Amino acid sequence: MENLTEMLKGVLEGSVLEIISRKETYGYEITRQLNALGFADVVEGTVYTILIRLEKNKLVEITKKPSELGPPRKFFAINDAGRDELRKFWEKWEFVSSKMNELKEKTQ
Amino acid sequence: MARVKTLPQDYQIVYKEIQKYLFKVGPVELTEGNGLLSGIVDLFEEGAASGKGVLEVTGSDVAVFCDELIKDSKTYADIAQESANQAVNKAMKKLTDKK
Amino acid sequence: MNFWEKITGSDMTKEMKAFEARAKKLPADYQAAWGELNANLWSYSNFSGRNLMPIIDGVLGLLEESAADGQRVHEVLGDDIKGFCAALAGEEGAKSYRDKWREQLNQNVAKKLGK
Repeated sequence: MENLTEMLKGVLEGSVLEIISRKETYGYEITRQLNALGFADVVEGTVYTILIRLEKNKLVEITKKPSELGPPRKFFAINDAGRDELRKFWEKWEFVSSKMNELKEKTQ
Repeated sequence: MARVKTLPQDYQIVYKEIQKYLFKVGPVELTEGNGLLSGIVDLFEEGAASGKGVLEVTGSDVAVFCDELIKDSKTYADIAQESANQAVNKAMKKLTDKK
Repeated sequence: MNFWEKITGSDMTKEMKAFEARAKKLPADYQAAWGELNANLWSYSNFSGRNLMPIIDGVLGLLEESAADGQRVHEVLGDDIKGFCAALAGEEGAKSYRDKWREQLNQNVAKKLGK
């Protein structure tokens, strides 16, 4: 689906963290996963700005590894603070989505 | 940055415009921390290596990309304003203490 | 003692001298604008020189890049140098300037990529 940018703003950070929590990965790979999931508008640049924030807030650990193409890649792995943040994110998400469903059912 | 010159033309153009914008806005990361600009070059090198156009990497709204990049950053202007306000407050306090 | 030394203290004169050396390499119209920018920025008497240094460094970087790019200085700074400086320093009106810079960025990209 397209034109989701505004709506995705609040949840993209959590989504990226979730992807990182499953296995150590890097920006382009994360973007591809989000695209494959159906978020067609998400570009590398968007993911990059999120990764920088995760790094700044110390929610991830970073390792540089050489790649066949281009410069060495930064790989991201989740740490304890990140897992904590991720748990909070899903709690918030559960709350919002259950309330949204409640709202929708009431008006129908 | 010498690495910029090895990027495809479209990447170089956007890099330069981003740089000029950031020089004006002045986020502190321009001179501190983990290298805001060299991070962008990393991102661009990988994008170019995978055969993408630059706007496919940044998204079509380059300004939005920049603002997201420095969303949580202080700017030099913020810092200067803060310390100016502090100086004023101090001076005001001195005045009121005297009374 | 020159103007900079008077207000900055000697440890910062070294930095100012380095800035001046960079400015001298700019084209003439850029040098004129640099003089004006510099004077305007120093007029924020509430700011210490230390706080102004990174802002001035940024301005110089902007001028250097734009000159190397062959842009006219007027295109870069617009008519209102005072307002431009106020925005750099985060004074009133900074927000609307930032919007302008944002627009400029996207317009330049669109123009130069030929899209």
